[in-house]
Amino acid sequence: MRRIYLVLIAIMLLAIPFAPMVAAASEADEEVEEETTIRDFSLRVDEGVRIGDYRVELISVISRVDGLIEVKVWKRVSTFEDWRVMEILRDANFDEGADRGGLTITVIEIFDEDTVRMRAKYRSSYGYPQKYITERGMAPKNLPELEVTTALDRKDVSVGDEVKVTITVNNIGNATARDVAVQDSPPLPAFRYVAGYPPKIKNSLEPGESDVAVYSMVAATEGDVTIPATVARYADSKSRVSSASSQPQSVTIKPKRKPDLVLLVEPPQPISYGGRGTVNVTVKNQGDASAYMVEVKSNLKSVGDGLEVVEGNLDRSFLEIPAGGSESYSTTIEGSRSGSRIIDLLATFQADGAILQKETTFEVMVLERELRFLYFLPIVPVLILAAWLFRRYKEYKY
Amino acid sequence: MLNVLMLGIGQCGNRILDAVNREAFGGSSRLSKYYSRQKFPSRVETLAINTAINDLKELRFTAAKDRLHVPNLHGVGANRGIGKQGFWENREMIMEEIERRGDFDIAFVMTSASGGTGSSFTPLVVHELKERYKKITVIPVMVLPFREEGSIYLQNAAFSMRDIMEVESDGIILVDNQYLKRLSGDIKTAYDRINEMVAERLLFLIESLDSEMLSVTDLGDFKTVMRGGLGMGTLGFYESDKKTTSLTSAIEGSIKPTGLLYPADVYEDAARAMIIIQGSKEYLEVDEITKAVEKLSTKIGQVFKGIVIKKGRPKVLSVFTLSQVPDLEMLYAQAAQAIQDEKSKKTRAKKQLDDAFAYIEDLEEVY
Ligand SMILES: Nc1nc2c(ncn2[C@@H]2O[C@H](COP(=O)(O)OP(=O)(O)OP(=O)(O)O)[C@@H](O)[C@H]2O)c(=O)[nH]1
Ligand SMILES: [Mg+2]
Repeated sequence: MRRIYLVLIAIMLLAIPFAPMVAAASEADEEVEEETTIRDFSLRVDEGVRIGDYRVELISVISRVDGLIEVKVWKRVSTFEDWRVMEILRDANFDEGADRGGLTITVIEIFDEDTVRMRAKYRSSYGYPQKYITERGMAPKNLPELEVTTALDRKDVSVGDEVKVTITVNNIGNATARDVAVQDSPPLPAFRYVAGYPPKIKNSLEPGESDVAVYSMVAATEGDVTIPATVARYADSKSRVSSASSQPQSVTIKPKRKPDLVLLVEPPQPISYGGRGTVNVTVKNQGDASAYMVEVKSNLKSVGDGLEVVEGNLDRSFLEIPAGGSESYSTTIEGSRSGSRIIDLLATFQADGAILQKETTFEVMVLERELRFLYFLPIVPVLILAAWLFRRYKEYKY
Repeated sequence: MLNVLMLGIGQCGNRILDAVNREAFGGSSRLSKYYSRQKFPSRVETLAINTAINDLKELRFTAAKDRLHVPNLHGVGANRGIGKQGFWENREMIMEEIERRGDFDIAFVMTSASGGTGSSFTPLVVHELKERYKKITVIPVMVLPFREEGSIYLQNAAFSMRDIMEVESDGIILVDNQYLKRLSGDIKTAYDRINEMVAERLLFLIESLDSEMLSVTDLGDFKTVMRGGLGMGTLGFYESDKKTTSLTSAIEGSIKPTGLLYPADVYEDAARAMIIIQGSKEYLEVDEITKAVEKLSTKIGQVFKGIVIKKGRPKVLSVFTLSQVPDLEMLYAQAAQAIQDEKSKKTRAKKQLDDAFAYIEDLEEVY
């Protein structure tokens, strides 16, 4: 007997949460006149709105003039699905209409081939309509799509350098692109345009087809320059115009390239009196452009009294010393007078029509005669003695 | 300071002059002229005069400028006549050469009495000096020959001695080769020894005449001595050895025959004398000197004394004139004999030649 009570109590306890549901269900059945809401929204083809479990999708604008569109309305987790052609400003009930828990929709305005404005009446409890893109809208369409790349043939640009710009337009879509036109940025003041500008591209591009335009320009002023994106405009079969653009690029234009000669002189060790020494000269181009008509000249003749070139020549000329290149030569000189002399070496060269000069000095020491002189010292007293003896001999020679 | 002229005329005179110059170099080394300097006690000018250039060339210690060759004569071959003529022809040149050397207080003219050049030039030179230098004292130093040298030398000696006595010299110093022959058997060495002795004594004499002596003898005293007696005398010399430094014996030594240049008995024959003592102060005992000189005076008569203080052992020089010269008389006798012999030899030879020529008398050369 007791067991029966316990089971009953348990059943009762379990039954409590369900009680309101049972009550509500019974209420709905009883109160047909529930509160409704009216909302306006615009839709594009392949767009839809969520209203509660209902979905309203615009399939197409059939005729703007006639005010006819095609919609698809369906309900989530149910079998309800309704394709219907709607006429502008005429209410249409779906799933028995708003009054019976369904939807009542009216087309208010048709903007163009894509877009319409609608009004929906539904139970307030369904909330606000929410937009989404339909599966059809997400499915690929037969449209052209262009990809634009701009490439510069060099990164390291100095004033005076020629830069080749290659614009590649590639149709990566699946329809023909028509009326293709590239628009490069208006000519940049930092460059002088030499050839191929403005760039031109084939008028139409089949899917997978690409075309290339090349133009060249010369860097004119130094500084940081941003080369803006190149834009390609094109139209699809329905003459709808689209555009694609490349990435903008930034370039730093360095100062003009110049040769820079340095004269490296390895002067001789101090030259002994009457001895010889070697002068090694290296003319090095440390700059980034060739030096032309290089002439090295020394003032040895005017300073070098007692200093003579006996082999080679300190004065040289070279037709060209390329950037980073160097020329070396050596000269043997002989010192016939002691002392220290400062010798100037002057390199004259041409670059871009300008005449440039570079100078250096080096010292040549010729040692004193001293040491040799010492050899003669012991002879002096001998000579004096001999002179004395000779004088005496003469004095007594009759 | 005395101005002294030393002339060496003829080979003998030249050589004695060379010895004087050598002595002045202070060394006996032959090379001394190359490293040493002549030290004369006074201003001494030397001049060697000769007619034979080879004799002048032979000299070693006489400066070239002090050798005077009388030109155009290659020696006079002991002929005094030619010699005299040569002098007259070159008198001005010779005297100019002397006068160029300045003024002189005393002149020694050294020569052999028997050669040609020296013996003929000397009396004439003495005369010229006396004429040209008013206050000069001229002392000829005459070297007498070895007696066995031959009749011409003896004859020359005899005549040149007479010539020299006739000109007004201030007294003659005699040197006798014959007497000094004992010094060496070898003639060359004997000459050198004699010349050296003469040179040494003359320089000693000059030095003492010019020194500030303790007991003064001067040129005047010397002249007085040289004018005494016959106006000719000689020099004696003594140098103390290590053992005997006694002044008395040194003074006596200087007049002993062994120390003389001409044989004489000083105690007997001397007319006037001068004794000059030289040495370190410690040796020079004035009292002792005075005593020794006084002792001499009692025998000789006038004796001048001079003391020269100079580092070294005592050296004594005696200068004296003679009142009689027996040796010279003997030389004259020999000379006369020689002249006689020479004459008869000559006539005999002439006669022989005449006899020989007689053979070709009245003959002609036939070809
Ligand atoms: N004491 C000494 N006597 C010498 C020397 N040479 C030569 N006599 C002597 O001098 C004499 C010869 O006279 P010289 O002087 O040679 O003759 P000279 O005056 O040159 O005259 P000539 O030759 O005839 O022109 C001889 O009696 C030699 O013994 C010498 O060096 N010393
Ligand atoms: Mg002679």
